[in-house]
Amino acid sequence: MAVSRLPPAALSLKQFLQRQKVLGVYRDLLRSIRKIPIESDRRYLRDWAREEFKRNKSETDQDVIRMMITQAHNHLEDLRRSLALARC
Amino acid sequence: MRSDCLVHCGSGLRNMAARIIARCVRSLNHPSVYFNRINTSATLTAAPLTHGRTFSYLTNGHKSPLAQISSSSFQVLQWRQYGDLPPLTLETIHDRVLYVLKLYDKISPEKLQATSHFMKDLGLDSLDQVEIIMAMEDEFGFEIPDAEAEKLMTPQEIVQYIADKKDVYE
Repeated sequence: MAVSRLPPAALSLKQFLQRQKVLGVYRDLLRSIRKIPIESDRRYLRDWAREEFKRNKSETDQDVIRMMITQAHNHLEDLRRSLALARC
Repeated sequence: MRSDCLVHCGSGLRNMAARIIARCVRSLNHPSVYFNRINTSATLTAAPLTHGRTFSYLTNGHKSPLAQISSSSFQVLQWRQYGDLPPLTLETIHDRVLYVLKLYDKISPEKLQATSHFMKDLGLDSLDQVEIIMAMEDEFGFEIPDAEAEKLMTPQEIVQYIADKKDVYE
């Protein structure tokens, strides 16, 4: 009897939260890439990040998405540590 | 003979006064203060001052001719050199936002309007929207937090947000 007033394409809460996580990690990744001193490396990594995220855009399995978010976080931490080392 | 001597003294005084004034102006010609130098009028105004005067005029000091002249013929342009950007207006923010969007490769410049929605009209997705907001952060030099960044979906909203953050009123 409970008619859902949401459009059929709306995400569930879990999916919505995951989407926010993905966008958050993408944004953090882009912000860290911005700090890279060499222009060509910066461009390369920006294109790489774009490609990776676009390629897996259509993934719908929540577990796979969670795994990919973890991978992205690992990449982000590696990048941050390398930048911190490179600066001193 | 005497009158010739006096006339000669008068022109000599005029030249001297002009030279003194020029020297004063040059010493005051600091990077921060620019005088609109009108040398001819300086000599013209100097001429009636020195015509027929005695030496006692010059002994009064250099201040009086300069004071007379600065009140009449010089325009003081105060130009302070602080290290800041030119002030933002709604017009310039709008132009810069549209310029950055035109440079983005996924947007065709013909379809771009101030009210075109990124997802509905221009067919971009949320990753592109993140990139666009990043580009805006780079352009305007300040960070936009995540919660507010994901709500900006048209160029007009971006302009409005930046104007709010930067206190730009029209």
